[in-house]
Amino acid sequence: MPDGGMPMGETTASRAAAHDLDLVALAAGGGREAFGELVRRHGSAVRSLVRRMGAQPALADDIAQDAFLAAFERIAEFRGEGTFQAWVKRIAARLYAKRWRREAIARRAAEALEADDDPRVTQSGVAARIDLDQALASLGALERLCVSLCYGAGLSHSDAAEALGLPLGTVKSHVKRGLDKLKARLAPAQTVRDAEEANG
Amino acid sequence: MADLEFEDRIDRMFAQAPTFGDADLFALRLDERLNRGWTARRMLIGGLGLAGGLVGGAQVIGSGVISRFDEISAQSGRLLTQRLSEVAPFDLLPVGFAVDGQILWMSAALAAVAIGFAVARAVREI
Repeated sequence: MPDGGMPMGETTASRAAAHDLDLVALAAGGGREAFGELVRRHGSAVRSLVRRMGAQPALADDIAQDAFLAAFERIAEFRGEGTFQAWVKRIAARLYAKRWRREAIARRAAEALEADDDPRVTQSGVAARIDLDQALASLGALERLCVSLCYGAGLSHSDAAEALGLPLGTVKSHVKRGLDKLKARLAPAQTVRDAEEANG
Repeated sequence: MADLEFEDRIDRMFAQAPTFGDADLFALRLDERLNRGWTARRMLIGGLGLAGGLVGGAQVIGSGVISRFDEISAQSGRLLTQRLSEVAPFDLLPVGFAVDGQILWMSAALAAVAIGFAVARAVREI
């Protein structure tokens, strides 16, 4: 793989140890291997967010790929305000919202909510994620989308409204209803876990 | 539970991203897409460059610039030969020495190539 921006002597190991900002600087100079390392680091988080927004796994992967391609094209615009992962997540969230607007996939997303489990998840923290994923699955498609845009991708309510082409008040009410439902579903489980931890 | 506290909790839960088993495959697929994009771009630029070169070449030939170029070369060669014969002793110049137009432009082209190599080397060193 060509890597125009990588200094001589740069190795896979040193890339793996490099800070995101260093990799971004290398990628901005055309360093494809540095960008590949960023994709390996943050790809799962971005894919996971788009799935949580309601996309089927295959579509979520396509959106995530498009988001990373867009990020590579516009990487000179990344100023290090916030993390690289958050930046790509926002790009992915906007891409999915745009797609949602164009194709009006809300109904299909609602039908697909049950198929979101991914058996390939490998790291720790699985219980909390399953809790969140299951709780998100109980929301309406728009509630799920609005909550994920605002809390998963870090968009403001007005940014989410603009991305979805919905009135601000509509987005706010979807977020509010979504949070209320999540609270109702997540609070009891957390209470049980807290009690179990307290009992040792 | 206070709303803000719950919102913080949701933030944290969203931040707990899983690592998928096919993360490397995902990165590889993306790299292939980047390669495809670059290949298409290179082909487009190359094609446009070739078409532009052909059109430009046809225009240059059609405008009769080559005959003018030959004329200028011949004049320059004569002038240079004349000046050299004025400043250099006759015994230092080869017998029948004359600066031909082709020699003049070939020397200039070789000099340009040499400068190109030097600049490329300097850029690589930097």
